[in-house]
Amino acid sequence: MLTEEAKKAIKEVMKRYKTKRAAVMPALTIAQDDVREVTAEDMLEIAEMLEIQPVIVNEVAKFYTMYNVQRKVGKYHIEVCHNISCNLLQAERIIAHIENRLNIKVGGTTTDGKFTLSTAECLGSCGTAPMMQINDTYYEDLTETKVNDILATLKSRD
Amino acid sequence: MAKLTINGKFIEVKDGTLILEAAKQAGIEIPTFCYQADLSRIGACRICLVEIAGQRKLMTSCTTPVMEGMEVNSESAAVQESRKGVIEFFLSNHSLDCPVCDKAGECELQDMVYKHGPRKGSFKEKKIRFHEKDYPLSPVIIKNSNRCVKCTRCIRVCRDTVGVGVLGSMGRGAHQEETSFLRTYLDCDHCGNCIEVCPVGCFMRRPYRYKSRPWDLKSADTICPYCATGCTSKIQERDGEVVRSISKMGKGVNNELLCARGRFGFDFISNEDRLTTPLMRKDGELVPVSWDEALESLAVNLGAFAPERIGGIASARLTNEDLFLFQDLMRSAFKTNNIDSSARWNRDSVSAFIKATGINEGGVSLRGALEGVDAIFIVGTQISEENPVTDYLLRRSFDSRWVFTMIASARAMKLDSCAQLTMRHDPATENALLTAIAKVIFDDAGEKAAGLDCAELFKDLSLKDLSDESGVDQSDIGAAARKLFGSESATFFAGTEFLRFPDGLRGFSLLKELLTALGKKITVVPVLDRCNQRGAWDMGVHPAFGPGYEPVENPGLGNAGMLEAADARQLDALYIAGVDILNNYPDFETAEKALSKLQYLVVNELFLTGTAAMADLVLPVASFAEKAGTMTNQEGRVQSMSPLMKPPGEARTAHDIFSALLKAHDFEFNVAKPKGTFEKIQANVKSYADVELLNERSDKSLTGESGNTVSSSILEKEADEEDQTPAYTAEDLPLTLITGNHLFYSGMLSSRSATLGSLLKEAIVEINDTDAKKYDLKSGDHVTVTGRYHEGRYAVRVKNGSRKGVAFIPENFKTGPVNRFFRKGEWSQKVRLKKVDA
Repeated sequence: MLTEEAKKAIKEVMKRYKTKRAAVMPALTIAQDDVREVTAEDMLEIAEMLEIQPVIVNEVAKFYTMYNVQRKVGKYHIEVCHNISCNLLQAERIIAHIENRLNIKVGGTTTDGKFTLSTAECLGSCGTAPMMQINDTYYEDLTETKVNDILATLKSRD
Repeated sequence: MAKLTINGKFIEVKDGTLILEAAKQAGIEIPTFCYQADLSRIGACRICLVEIAGQRKLMTSCTTPVMEGMEVNSESAAVQESRKGVIEFFLSNHSLDCPVCDKAGECELQDMVYKHGPRKGSFKEKKIRFHEKDYPLSPVIIKNSNRCVKCTRCIRVCRDTVGVGVLGSMGRGAHQEETSFLRTYLDCDHCGNCIEVCPVGCFMRRPYRYKSRPWDLKSADTICPYCATGCTSKIQERDGEVVRSISKMGKGVNNELLCARGRFGFDFISNEDRLTTPLMRKDGELVPVSWDEALESLAVNLGAFAPERIGGIASARLTNEDLFLFQDLMRSAFKTNNIDSSARWNRDSVSAFIKATGINEGGVSLRGALEGVDAIFIVGTQISEENPVTDYLLRRSFDSRWVFTMIASARAMKLDSCAQLTMRHDPATENALLTAIAKVIFDDAGEKAAGLDCAELFKDLSLKDLSDESGVDQSDIGAAARKLFGSESATFFAGTEFLRFPDGLRGFSLLKELLTALGKKITVVPVLDRCNQRGAWDMGVHPAFGPGYEPVENPGLGNAGMLEAADARQLDALYIAGVDILNNYPDFETAEKALSKLQYLVVNELFLTGTAAMADLVLPVASFAEKAGTMTNQEGRVQSMSPLMKPPGEARTAHDIFSALLKAHDFEFNVAKPKGTFEKIQANVKSYADVELLNERSDKSLTGESGNTVSSSILEKEADEEDQTPAYTAEDLPLTLITGNHLFYSGMLSSRSATLGSLLKEAIVEINDTDAKKYDLKSGDHVTVTGRYHEGRYAVRVKNGSRKGVAFIPENFKTGPVNRFFRKGEWSQKVRLKKVDA
């Protein structure tokens, strides 16, 4: 369900475009903000607001990995790149290390709801591989110690 | 023109031709998956890559146009290697469950692998599986995404051609799945075109799944028995049961397109309620009798009445041959002109419609009518529901060429989204609307129009009055008028609302005449809702004219006249061939009263309908799948159909029955096969003389000019002499009731199809969103609809964008017959809705 504020924000963002349907991506971003999930109801409501078939909203939401469709992620969403450059530089090891530290598998969320671990396709930061993205921040040139520090910092935060 | 070589073969093709199409012309086949002529081109599957001299990379032949001097190689080592790789990719995640797949045997992927594919794959990874069990998307569509090759033909046909766009690509790369919103049930046309275009077994027909192998099916080419679009389809049977109907690219007017009725509505053929023996009323009961006894009793009994006391009504679903013999039988054996086709339209409406739309002047091809035209005006038809494939073909044509399109109707329709101007008028006010448009054109034309015959007519007309009457804004009327006035040519699609409310034809004729007088090229495509309605008129199944619109000396009674006469005991016997009058005639009570007063009623039927149950003699007949013959679609295109199987039990074709009766009357009568009768039609009906039975989009299969004019009392009336139809108005009945066909329900046949029944389970009443809010109703609620004469229970459907104050109930619904709301002469019925608990 979209909140009243979200609806207002979507209406506002729609004004930026010539056609209503052009606002589908910002609308999904607004829907996902705070709740960290896009639900079926959200997509239906967005479709109604933008006057498009729900399936189009579904398509867009499923195409971009930044939208979590019907998947509630933790407060910190860790996405580790596992494409060629990162993989050559031991991304798999980084992933395994995080799995161990957080005691979850890829795709899982910690019991306290704080961390979700995912793998990501190339995030365009091959020069600083291996790397990962947590929410909107890039963490680069990863080593196991560096990962420990990052996780510790985040854990200590709310 | 561009000259090029493909595989060393020199060819010359039109500029802009795609390499793929050029190769086809040269007889070279390039494999494709995502490409389909008539769908948008995306060049996604990469199977059609070819080598072009001078280009570093291989190019997709389905999106690259030819260039002068191009040297293309579609079979070079590099091409073959890449093709193998592409197929290997397809198979890397394909489930390879051919032994249980419906598509095996006619699968494009199978054929492709067999022809070009590698015999071994190099992928070791686990295949991606989207789901374990097939999942249904609708009562008729079931899906297996594990077989998908990501060609997205399903999505494109759904979006661009059918216009519902309920399918989409979810995810990306190998994880991409074409499906519905979160794999939920579809709310769509259920046309199954996604199934038809699917190259693999990803989209499947639910009623056909696991029923047969394609090579075990026996098939016959036929014409769809529902609306008059005239789609060609191939129906296929196994062990005496028709299991599917398919359509193919490049065949017929429809190509690969069919609608829900055409694709899934054939199962009435194998319905176990089909009549199998003649039934005769003995001591008040209908009991089985032999054909000899039945036919003899028919000839004796009908022959005993005076010609003016006999009548015949034939269905517009019969073939031209059946109808030609039927009118011959009624006219030559029983000496009466009391004959009519269909029980819904009044005799004079039909004459007026034929005259106004120029049906007697020969066929008009849909494609020709759209080619190069400046404006399209769709009026008096619910085209998206009555003629779904015409709707698809129109939308497809808009895809390749933009045409200014106007739609005038009371009900919203899917095609609205393709129109630049939609006018929502009050029901039955086509006359006011079209006259208003003509008035604006006349005023704008000034001196150019001043000398015209119709000038007088416009003098006293007030645009404001006409606009108020129709409920359409003057600005919209003005916009439509200016577009028509500014166009060199325009095509009108005029439909069955004009037959229901023939007054509209006056406005239509006026507008058409005015535009023609102003030098515009006007083409009219009639839009009809019964497969052979046009053929029935061409064959002279009408009280006022014979075959080829030849006027008859003493015009007889039409269906309304016959029922009225029967009610007054002035008509004693009726021969009804395939019409369920009780369910179709727009006044149930009169029809029932009239039929019960008859002394002798004979009915040819597939099922024991309400009308058949009242008969003294019921003759079981063959369905469209069991007979040969020709049908004429709305364009005037004559197409042939061939029988797939034998009729059930002792049922006979209508052609056999009429022939036998004609033979009994006249020993000289030459009993022929339908083919022989068609030759007779060609010899006797001028407009059919040059027709070639091609079953393809050729002007050679269109009827020619009949050379006869049709006179119409309705069109010749003075404009001020308005019909004094009593419009019933009451405070407590706020909605105007209208009717027509539903997408899944159009008459007797559809009501006997279990598959169509699963798409629309109960009788519905449709209202617009404003009224829904006003009466606090939403789709799925149940209401009682109360009119002046009838009250019935219906499920509510809300349709955005329809005219407010209008309630629509589809015709012929068995559990909610709309004809009980109407009375003869009172077409305008008002109703109210009251919510009831489910």
